[in-house]
Amino acid sequence: MAIDLQKLTEGRIDFEGQKKVERISRSTLVTATVLSFLIGFILQSLRVTFAIFGISAIALLIVVVPPWPAYNRHPIQWLTPKVKEV
Amino acid sequence: MHTIYARINNVSALLSTCLMCLLGAIALTTYILTPHPTGKLDVASIQVFPGNAARYSRKQQEFAFLHFNISADLTPLFHWNTKQLFLYVSAEYTNQKGIHNDVVIWDRIVRRKEDANLTVAGRNKYVFREISSSFKGAEPAHYTLKYNVMPWVGPLTYGEAARTKTPVPFPESQELS
Repeated sequence: MAIDLQKLTEGRIDFEGQKKVERISRSTLVTATVLSFLIGFILQSLRVTFAIFGISAIALLIVVVPPWPAYNRHPIQWLTPKVKEV
Repeated sequence: MHTIYARINNVSALLSTCLMCLLGAIALTTYILTPHPTGKLDVASIQVFPGNAARYSRKQQEFAFLHFNISADLTPLFHWNTKQLFLYVSAEYTNQKGIHNDVVIWDRIVRRKEDANLTVAGRNKYVFREISSSFKGAEPAHYTLKYNVMPWVGPLTYGEAARTKTPVPFPESQELS
């Protein structure tokens, strides 16, 4: 019971998933910053800038933070334990 | 990035850096967009009366009362980074002692672009008095309409929108009959 709760709050993902998450978050944030600045400047509205930036940030959190099954497709292959001679 | 806590930590760090860069870029646009609006300021009438100073009722003091007309179109100043405009009419003159004075006698805060087309027939909002108690011998004054653009992010910028073409002299102080 306690281990299930711990697994739930930890939300582990495997190494391939971590690489994917890193790539997604970095590219999304840089693109969102540049895009929101340019579109807001062209439309001369600060509201548009922060709307684009805020929605991108919330969408990023939804995509990246929960441990979706897509991030667990390459589980770690542990070696089989060797039986030790006493 | 292995746990939920680590992912929230990493994403929020990058998010705050990107936000700071965005705010810095917005602040820098204040220097790119620099309009220079112009307008007209005329003095309709000016009178000087003697009276008692507010705090020391035995001290004699001269007060000036000014009526002016302003017409200015300040809508170019409203760009995306403008939060509000602070406008003020100030009197610039040199008094008898040779000291230059700059007195703000009227101000207004403009929050929307629609309110930036100014046509005002106003009078001085604030008491216009000379610190050395008398306007006698003071040089004729220039009245100017200045503005201060207050941005959402970034530095404050100042400018002058209108100025009286010829300086306006101070009349002799007359007793109210």
